[in-house]
Amino acid sequence: MAKSFLRRFTYFERVVHWVVGVTFVLLLLTGLAFAYPSLFWLTTFLGGGSAARVLHPQIGAVFGVGLLLMFGLWVRDMFLDSQDRQWLGAIKHYAAHERDKVPPAGKYNAGQKLFFWVQSLLGIVFVASGLLLWFPEGFGPGLLNSMRLLHYLATLGGGLFLIVHVYLGTIAYPGTARGMIDGKVTPEWARLHHPRWTGERVER
Amino acid sequence: MSDTLSIKRISASPSALIPLESLRSGGPVYSKLVDISKCIGCKGCEVACKEWNDLKVEQTSNFGSMQSHQDLSSNTWLLMRFNEVEDGDDLHWLIKKDACLHCEEPGCLFACPAPGAIVQYQNGIVDFNQENCIGCQYCVSGCPFDIPRFDKQTKTVAKCNMCIDRVEAGLEPACVKTCPTNAIEWGIKDDMLAQAEKKVETLRKRGYDHAAVYNPGGVGGTHMMYVVPHGDRLNDYSLPAHPVASPGPLRGLNVFQRIGSYLFGAGVISALAHFLAVGPESPEDHA
Repeated sequence: MAKSFLRRFTYFERVVHWVVGVTFVLLLLTGLAFAYPSLFWLTTFLGGGSAARVLHPQIGAVFGVGLLLMFGLWVRDMFLDSQDRQWLGAIKHYAAHERDKVPPAGKYNAGQKLFFWVQSLLGIVFVASGLLLWFPEGFGPGLLNSMRLLHYLATLGGGLFLIVHVYLGTIAYPGTARGMIDGKVTPEWARLHHPRWTGERVER
Repeated sequence: MSDTLSIKRISASPSALIPLESLRSGGPVYSKLVDISKCIGCKGCEVACKEWNDLKVEQTSNFGSMQSHQDLSSNTWLLMRFNEVEDGDDLHWLIKKDACLHCEEPGCLFACPAPGAIVQYQNGIVDFNQENCIGCQYCVSGCPFDIPRFDKQTKTVAKCNMCIDRVEAGLEPACVKTCPTNAIEWGIKDDMLAQAEKKVETLRKRGYDHAAVYNPGGVGGTHMMYVVPHGDRLNDYSLPAHPVASPGPLRGLNVFQRIGSYLFGAGVISALAHFLAVGPESPEDHA
C-alpha cells in the first residue's frame, strides 16, 4: 500500500529557499573572509580575494531577489495569532520536548514566524548597507565605516539564526528537512509539529 | 644612506592593530617637507612623479585654473592643487601638494581586509601592493586625506609610494629631486621637523603670523609634512584641520567581530549541547 504524505512546500518554494540558502552560505564564507584576516583563505572557494570581492555583491543581489520572493510567498502565513503568543510563553517546554505543555502550532510555529520576520529585516539591512559598500564612490568615510559595522552586525544575527535553523531542521527534528527537499512530510510528523495545519494530501 | 625595507605593519594581520608605542622600531625614519611658501607652481614634481613611476598620461583640459588635473587618479599620484581664495580685495593663491602623506597611523592600512595589500615600513613609507589588493576600496573610506584612488580597469587601488624603489637605493623621491626651489625636501624626520620649525619662525618674522607646521597628531604625525604660511586657514588649503586615523574606530568593529566569533562558536556548541541533552524528537517518540 502506498504511504501517503502531506505537501509541505511547492517546487517553486523549495527552489527559492535553496537559492537563498546557498547564496547565504557563499556570502557568509566570503564575508567572514573579509571580516577575519585569519579566515581570508575562505576566499579560495570563490577563486581568491579579487574574485570574491567581485562575486560577493553579485551573489548578494541574487540573495536579495530570493529573499524578496520568499517574503512574497510566505508573508501571509507569518502573522502571529493568540495561540502563537502562548507558544512563545511555552518555548522552554518546546525545547525540552514536553509536547503536552506546548500550544498547538499551525503551518508555522511562532519561532518560525519570528525567524521569518527577523531574517526579512536583516535582509533589508544586508542589501541597503551592501549596496553602499558595493558602490562606495561619493560616500563619506564615516557613512561607509558605519555601513561596514552594520553589515557585520547583520551577519552576526543572520549567522546565529542559520545555526539554529539548520540544527532544528535537520538532526533535532527528523523528518523536517524532507519538506524542503522533495516537499513532503509524513502525517505523523505534521501531527507532532504542526497539529493545527491541514496540508494537502499526496500519494508517495 | 641605503636602507633595508624593514616592515612595521602589514594590513589584515595582527600587526595592523598593535598600538604604535608597542611596535618595534629601528633604522632611519624619513619625511618629506613641503614648504608651501617656496613653491612657484611649476608642477615639475608632477612630471617627475609620472616619469619615475611610469604612470599613464591623462588628457587634461582647461577648467579655469592653473591646476593641471581636476583630481588625483590611479595614474596621477601627485597633484598640485591651486586653491584661489578671495579675502576682500586680496586674492590668496594657496597651493597644496596633494599626495599621500604617509601617516604614522595609516587609516588605509587599518581598514584593509586583504593581508599584505598595504605595508608600512619602518622608514615611514606606506605602500600598496596591488598584487594583494582585492579592490574593496575600504582604504579609500579609511583615509582621512582622500588620497587612494580606485582603478576601474585593474580593480585595484593606487597612490603615491614615496618612490620606495629610490628610497631603498638611498635616493630621494623623484618630486624632491626635481623641485627647482627646494620647496620639497627630504631627510630624517627629526631633522625635517627642526627645519620646519625654523622655516615657521622665519615666515612669522616676515609677517605670516599664523605660519605653522602641518604634521597632524591625529594620525600619529605624517611622513610628508607641510610648512603652511597661513596655518589658520587649513581648510582653504584643503588640508583637514583634525584628521583622525587610528586603529580606534576599526578596533570597535574588531571588538564586535571578536565577540561575534565567540557567539558563533557558542551557537554551535549550544546546538550540540541541546542535542546531547534531549536528543532528536521523532513522531515515533510520541506514537
